Amino acid sequence: MNKALEQGGRTAPAEKRRIEEIFGRHINRGQMKYLKAGHLDVFETDRSGRGFTDPVSGRRFFDCFTSAGCFNVSRHNPVVMQALEEALKSWDLGSYHLASVPKLALARKLAALAPGDLEGVLFAAGGGDAVDCALKLARGATGRAEILSTVKAYHGHTGFALSANGKEHYRHCFEPLMPGFSFVPFNDLEAIREKASKDTAAIILEPVQGEAGIFPATDEYLRGLRALCDELGIVLIFDEIQTGFGRTGKLFASEHSGVVPDVMTVAKSLGGGLYPNAAVVYRKTPVLAEFVNRNPGFHTSYGGGSDLGCQVSLRLLEYIEEKRLWENAAAMGRVLQEALSGIQHENPKIVRAVRGLGLMVGIEYCHEFMGPMMADALAKHGVFAAYSGNAPQVMRFMMPITVTAAEMDAIIQAIHGSVRDMKTLLPLALTAVKVPGVLKLLNSERVQTVLFGAVRRIEDVTAFLSKKGEGG
Amino acid sequence: MSSETLGKCQDVAALCPAGSVEWLQAIGHDFLEGKREGACVYDEAGRRYIDGVCGAGVFNLGRRYPELVRALDQAMRDTDQGNFPMISEEKALLGQALAQFVPGALECSMFSVMRGEAMDFACKVARGFTGRTELLTVDGGCYGQTGFALSLSERVDKEAFGPLIPDVRIMPFGDVDAAKAAIGERTAAVLLEPLQVENHCRAAASAYLQELGARCRACGALLVLDETQTNFGRTGLRFAFEESGVEPDVLVLGEALGGGLFPIAATLITQRVNTFMNAHPMIHLSTFGGSDVGCCVALKALEIFAREQPWQNAAARGQTLHEGIEELRGKGGTPIRGVAGKGLVWSLDLGSPEAAQAFCRSAARHGLLVVPGQVARHTVVLRPSLLVTEAEAMEILDALRAAATDHGETS
Repeated sequence: MNKALEQGGRTAPAEKRRIEEIFGRHINRGQMKYLKAGHLDVFETDRSGRGFTDPVSGRRFFDCFTSAGCFNVSRHNPVVMQALEEALKSWDLGSYHLASVPKLALARKLAALAPGDLEGVLFAAGGGDAVDCALKLARGATGRAEILSTVKAYHGHTGFALSANGKEHYRHCFEPLMPGFSFVPFNDLEAIREKASKDTAAIILEPVQGEAGIFPATDEYLRGLRALCDELGIVLIFDEIQTGFGRTGKLFASEHSGVVPDVMTVAKSLGGGLYPNAAVVYRKTPVLAEFVNRNPGFHTSYGGGSDLGCQVSLRLLEYIEEKRLWENAAAMGRVLQEALSGIQHENPKIVRAVRGLGLMVGIEYCHEFMGPMMADALAKHGVFAAYSGNAPQVMRFMMPITVTAAEMDAIIQAIHGSVRDMKTLLPLALTAVKVPGVLKLLNSERVQTVLFGAVRRIEDVTAFLSKKGEGG
Repeated sequence: MSSETLGKCQDVAALCPAGSVEWLQAIGHDFLEGKREGACVYDEAGRRYIDGVCGAGVFNLGRRYPELVRALDQAMRDTDQGNFPMISEEKALLGQALAQFVPGALECSMFSVMRGEAMDFACKVARGFTGRTELLTVDGGCYGQTGFALSLSERVDKEAFGPLIPDVRIMPFGDVDAAKAAIGERTAAVLLEPLQVENHCRAAASAYLQELGARCRACGALLVLDETQTNFGRTGLRFAFEESGVEPDVLVLGEALGGGLFPIAATLITQRVNTFMNAHPMIHLSTFGGSDVGCCVALKALEIFAREQPWQNAAARGQTLHEGIEELRGKGGTPIRGVAGKGLVWSLDLGSPEAAQAFCRSAARHGLLVVPGQVARHTVVLRPSLLVTEAEAMEILDALRAAATDHGETS
């Protein structure tokens, strides 16, 4: 028995295995194998500030994934907690069809904070639901069927959102999806000009493609899209589900370019990391306003825009505004990007590129297999960062935007340490990839799951033997 | 005391355009929802109503069930939403508790934040597992607002949203021969509600469900039942489908799972169907769906459901309501042309959408909130808290009687 682990944390390994057994039986066994491969199979306890504690090892983790941008204002932010605690004295979900003080107040706040004349609000329960609502609004209002999305786009998993997802990985098992959706390369104005027409209902995109591997849209691209949409009567939809509420160094990512979309979807961090909420904010252009006016129940949300959720979201937005948290995101983002660029410069065989906007930063490694390896190395240094399942060469850093300079420094030191660790393993892997077929093999998700799982078991055994040696 | 009506309210424009206010006025619900407790809600001016809408089946335990309020208060301290891809004890325990709570071999859960998402996942897993594309449903269904759910639903405005999910076919409801002919080797799943609440509470006969189940088994298709509106006791049984003895492969549960305090829904599948998800982990994600806070609340709600067995009260009080409505109709001179339902979900046929709205308006005036059916717009759906008392059931009947009288006088 590994006594260090037992003493370090509050959950014994046996207890963890018991929970894993239940999770595997009643939720998903495959997911566990996948997480174990990247050392991401930790439980999250003591969720506070910028991280959580693994109850087995007792190790503290910086949360650099934040559920893809949900914990913008930290884990268990006292202001968010207090908002829910107070709301819980009088409210519940509320009736889906009735107006209430919290719902009206949040709608007013969103309308006030949203860029330009985005001033109509529809609530949704989550990101996918919001995207489905936005696309229904665009098709319904314009009477057109065609939707233009971007290659590698990520908009969610519900029917409309999935149809707008630009990655085969999420689509292929569930096709055929909705007709009328096509995909154009991101940041390529010419390509979209060729496809767009008066049959196009909407152009939908993320101002910074997140799950695709952090690709910020250029200002010229967004301005070009705005002009194109104005010319052809197309509804321009910005999916700000990951980028919203300070993440990119502005309250909304669209503010960098000054382009105001016709429709904006928000979710994730709107819930303060505690209580789900999402919304579609739209310009009251004649075509959009008239459709909503004539079809007020066109996208009823039973779980979204709840009274409890609206109270939490409202207080959260006031907090972000009071603290001007986007400014910290911008400043800390610069520090992180500079440090990562330095690492790239020193390690051109490991890091291919560094991209980002504010605290939405991605590192692209030279090979896909490096994503899981690096996640593993970072985990050992107390940094929780996720690589994308279908683009494992890219790792996203989306820590809370409340991160302090000292914490950012510690995170950067951990990344340095992880790269050093990886270098010791790399000569073996890089030699191996020269053998035909090995690279493909190493880059396969299934092989990684098995291989890294095996490596990990060897490490555990080694650790176990060395501890035993020390103890005896 | 007069209530502040929505039309006179300041600053409603962001959320409620004129059309929305007009619709709420048409059904007499143009007020701000304030205090809520048990079977009742109050407007901002303090006027009391019996909640006969229950958020379309969300508030099965009534409003703000005290133990559940405390459970959420505790859960937000113990945990938070969590990183969605992670293993957590909260998710594991809710999955385990659901497996024990639902009948049959539905051992595995996928959590969602709301009903449409849970239905969309049901459609996706059916396609993924079978490797087939055809989704068969019946006419008159109402499954939610998201893409797949909408594609299966019957809605007057459906065409406005352009071409939806392909290879969805709609069979005539209750027609065994049509079902036998339609379900085949191409069919991924047959999906339906055991009771179409929004369509004048049209119930699938046990024999029909049995036939669908048998035909699905023979063809290798999945039987998917959407119990969003009927789950956790609404029809006088724990689940509506139990009456038929059929064993679905997929069961869709709605937000009643979170007891009206937290948005959470679930899709339950068998171990056999979950082999697909085990082989393709992380192919369907939900950021809010498996919230650890939500799991804690749902765990407590399941405990309360198991203890309270609200289906028993639903059956008993439902009988009171049914008898009362039939008595009212028997006296004549009421606008109620027909009544259908089970347990504590009843649908009143008012003949036209306008009459249904007028009836809702009158009912609200007499202290009862009810809304028209979403599919059968000429109906009014009554679904109070499953914990409604006999006295509250009598109040509901009084309000229905008064609304019927109003309507008789004005028409």
